[in-house]
Amino acid sequence: MIELSTPLVMLLGALIILTICSVFSVKSHDLGFYGALIALILAAVAVTLLLPALRYYTAFVFVIALINLLSLKVIKSVIQGVDYGLVGLMALVTLSIFTTQNLALILAAFVLVSVPTYILVMVREGGANVEVGIKYITFMVLATVLFLIGAVTLAYTKNAFNGLLYILGYVMLVLGLSIEVGVAPLHEWVPDVFTSADPIPMSIIASLAKIVPFVIALRILISTSNSLTVSVTLFTAVLAAISMFTGNIGALTSKEHARILAYSTVANMGYLLACAVVIIKPEFFYFALTGALLMLFANAVGKIGFFNAIKAEGAFSPTMYLLAFSFIGLPPLMGFWGKLFILFSLVKVEYFWLVALMVLNSAISVPYYLRLARELGIGWKANLTNYICVAAVIITVITFLPDWFFRSMEVIAQAVGIAL
Amino acid sequence: MKEWLVFLLLFLSPVLSSVPIVLAYKSKAWTERLPPLSVFGIFISVLMSLYILFMLPEKQFSYPWIPEFGINFVFITDYLSRNMGVITAVIAFFIAIYGLDYMKGDYRPSWYWFFFNLFTASMLLVVYSDNLFLLFLGWEGLGAASWGLIGHWFRDDDNITYVGRAGRKVGPLELSWPPSFGGWRAISTIRFGDVPMFLALAGIWALSPTLNISEIEWGTLFETLGAGGTIILFLCLLMGLFTKSAQVPFSEWLMTAMTGPTTVSALLHSATMVAAGAYVFIKLTWYIAPWTLHGVHGLEYVYLLVLFIGLLSGLYGALCGSGMLERKVLLAASTMSSIGLMFAAAAASYWVDVEVGETHMNLAVLVAFWYMAVHAFAKASLFLVSGHLIHATHSRFLSGGLEFGKKMLPAFIVTIIATTFLVGIPPLTAYWVKSAMDEVMEHLFHEVGFLPLILLVLTSVVYSGLMAKFLALNFIKGEKPHHEHTHGGGLMKVGYALMVSVLFVLLYIIFTTEEGHEFIAAGAIMKHGTITISFGVGILALLAYMVALYRPQISSLAKLGTFLSDRMYLPFVNDFIMPKIGFSIAHVVQEYGNRGIDGFFNTVAIPGLFGAISRGIRKIQTGYLSRYISIVLGLVMILLVLVTVGGVWL
Repeated sequence: MIELSTPLVMLLGALIILTICSVFSVKSHDLGFYGALIALILAAVAVTLLLPALRYYTAFVFVIALINLLSLKVIKSVIQGVDYGLVGLMALVTLSIFTTQNLALILAAFVLVSVPTYILVMVREGGANVEVGIKYITFMVLATVLFLIGAVTLAYTKNAFNGLLYILGYVMLVLGLSIEVGVAPLHEWVPDVFTSADPIPMSIIASLAKIVPFVIALRILISTSNSLTVSVTLFTAVLAAISMFTGNIGALTSKEHARILAYSTVANMGYLLACAVVIIKPEFFYFALTGALLMLFANAVGKIGFFNAIKAEGAFSPTMYLLAFSFIGLPPLMGFWGKLFILFSLVKVEYFWLVALMVLNSAISVPYYLRLARELGIGWKANLTNYICVAAVIITVITFLPDWFFRSMEVIAQAVGIAL
Repeated sequence: MKEWLVFLLLFLSPVLSSVPIVLAYKSKAWTERLPPLSVFGIFISVLMSLYILFMLPEKQFSYPWIPEFGINFVFITDYLSRNMGVITAVIAFFIAIYGLDYMKGDYRPSWYWFFFNLFTASMLLVVYSDNLFLLFLGWEGLGAASWGLIGHWFRDDDNITYVGRAGRKVGPLELSWPPSFGGWRAISTIRFGDVPMFLALAGIWALSPTLNISEIEWGTLFETLGAGGTIILFLCLLMGLFTKSAQVPFSEWLMTAMTGPTTVSALLHSATMVAAGAYVFIKLTWYIAPWTLHGVHGLEYVYLLVLFIGLLSGLYGALCGSGMLERKVLLAASTMSSIGLMFAAAAASYWVDVEVGETHMNLAVLVAFWYMAVHAFAKASLFLVSGHLIHATHSRFLSGGLEFGKKMLPAFIVTIIATTFLVGIPPLTAYWVKSAMDEVMEHLFHEVGFLPLILLVLTSVVYSGLMAKFLALNFIKGEKPHHEHTHGGGLMKVGYALMVSVLFVLLYIIFTTEEGHEFIAAGAIMKHGTITISFGVGILALLAYMVALYRPQISSLAKLGTFLSDRMYLPFVNDFIMPKIGFSIAHVVQEYGNRGIDGFFNTVAIPGLFGAISRGIRKIQTGYLSRYISIVLGLVMILLVLVTVGGVWL
């Protein structure tokens, strides 16, 4: 019998409210929005009660989810109302991803964040983007299968060690993750989906949906690591490097804005995958975790800002430039800290060549981000898009002094292990 | 009051208070009304610096920034910082008051006030920082602000803002510089030094667990580096300090920096910028304590270099100034001279192990610092006076007879006080400090020889004459000005009167404090039954002052004067030889290397390669799902098979 503590009741309550409001949102769209909002607040409070050190993580996820929810107001989709529920569900799962150590729950979380995006990707005004949906879902199903099999195999080897199975499981998990988030050379869906889907749902898929897969993968990899990890990690490092180059060079000659963002995602996912290398020295993992989360948040708010700007055919120029600077990695913006902490952790595990490639890639990315900012930047207008962009910028500068976030991650990094 | 709030207000109030005038840059009405707000921002800094001086203990205050990398907001309120902080803030405040009048009707007040306040805030950051990285931020702020201020009148449309006589050519070079050129020269010279300095800081960071000046184990650091490493480290560091402080051969930018508004010159010369280089050297020496590190190889050469660069700059500046006829440029040359003496005195500490007071401060370092303080107030007063004179006569050249002097009585009196108090005439303020400096140089007889003292005495004598010349040719024996506008300027008078009055306060402090006693002892007339060298030098300074007052110009020496006023043709290094070298390198690169390099990096090879790869990457996107699936599934299958085979084989 599971004992029901207050936070657990709150989480359950959040789920119930979310479900009920989603059902009735067909009648009243606003109900879906407010239901998701209340569920989010409940879940955020519950998670903070469960793990006080998670308060900053929770705050970031909460704000990102809130902006995602608000941006859905820009679009009149056929499932309006329900879409709030879907984003709410993803946010709920993202919020509570650090609170469980149960493998089954963690794998369920992976699926729960993935599946809502199948529907969201098809959302457009007055219809459904079926073609994009099929493309996306095909890849996601493949990713989910590989990821789950890989995860379960790794968990198995933890208790009954088998070298071959470990390597197989490791590779499958990393491949599953790569397809899911769009790491090259398994990124084929990304440019197509990013350019043909509606920018608003894309801003959600490119932001909120990326956090959980990475966190889960890192947690599983670090929990199952053994003496073979040092050699098999090279595979991840090579994949990360390929992805950085493919993304950044691909973006250089892309003209369409959404396509540039697609390749930018591929590059960013490469940077993030590099964090997985750090599990070979768990004592430095908290640097990588801090870097990964800051990078994920910076990527999320940056993508939200840019996609919303694409939707509105331009946004306030300074916000566009600041988001571009964050992506490039200029201090003191969040993108800089994300990269810095990742680089620092890579230095600690002595992956110097990867450090060099990552710095080189940051330089390659400069022209296309600036081009994006220049082309999307327009004068100030008081509309929802600009408010969203301003909010995104505020988040990227809030880590001007990153120490508080780093300290909280130091605590969280102690508790990332999974009970196997 | 919370300490963090004190520091926050200290640094931010000048910057934030000048933001409104920047935002209102388009509105003439507002930019005329807002300057007092900027001045008020500096006033807050004055209050905070006084609070630190009187209320906070001498200790380190650390606030985390990036503690993982050893970079934090670390401030220190030691003897040097707490006193220099007050000097900086007070001088900036007095100059700002003066500026309310002086800059009235200027064509871009927003630019001026923002950079003026940024200048002040940056210097305060340099002064109070214990962390070298933080200090460097302030250092760079000084650089940026100096560029903005020196080139403030960027339109180059008024000859009164120029340096040098328009159209005067010597050989291929026109010895006349407009403001835009002055600003560029300043930033390009100090950048030339900042880069090696940054490398030196990086070197320290790599080798020392901390970047906090007061905590670095300097002795251990130098031993790790060895003699060669220590010398290289110091040379890199000193490049930054010497360029900023305009020591030979990097002094030219300071002369042409006189193209900026006079308020800027006053601030630049007294408490910021040029003082920053000497201040940082004094501070570093304070914590390095070289007099305790005689076992470290290489350190002696470094201090010997600084000693002689300082003394040579001192003599060079004073000599050049003695031939000059431009009000501000003459003062600029004298500043360079004074700063040189500060460097020299601080460097002498290597051989002078004399402790002062209960806190065991080193005499030589203390002298350097005190000379900086006295010089700051005296020189700022003189600059402010010369700004008023330029307004009143509409000429930047020395001019004005006794009749004019009577009309400008406050300026006249202030100049008399500032010059006599500065040159070391007994028993006025600087005499005591300079006497201690003479004594410091006497200490070097045994190990370095007589040369340092000889150079110091020569400099003191020429310097004294130079100051008297400034007084005589502006108020007593100068030509009658072509244009006279002696009314008004109330706030300007307030500015320099306040400034000069501090010299009396300093005199009082010398007579009432522990460290002052050492200076008084050094300035005694007799010791062991004979007249002291210090008193002799004081009398020499007085004589030189009197002679120059009587004969400020000697027409038979006009040619020598021109040679000196042309700074012994050092501009040729800056404006002719260096550009020639640069252009010849550029020429070679352009002719032989550039096409290849350009072709490789910018036009053909690399861009072509990137373009091709980029298009290749994008070619994968045909839009057909079946193709994508075959790629991805194929890759996954191949990898899994490879892994399986590899795993079995392992």
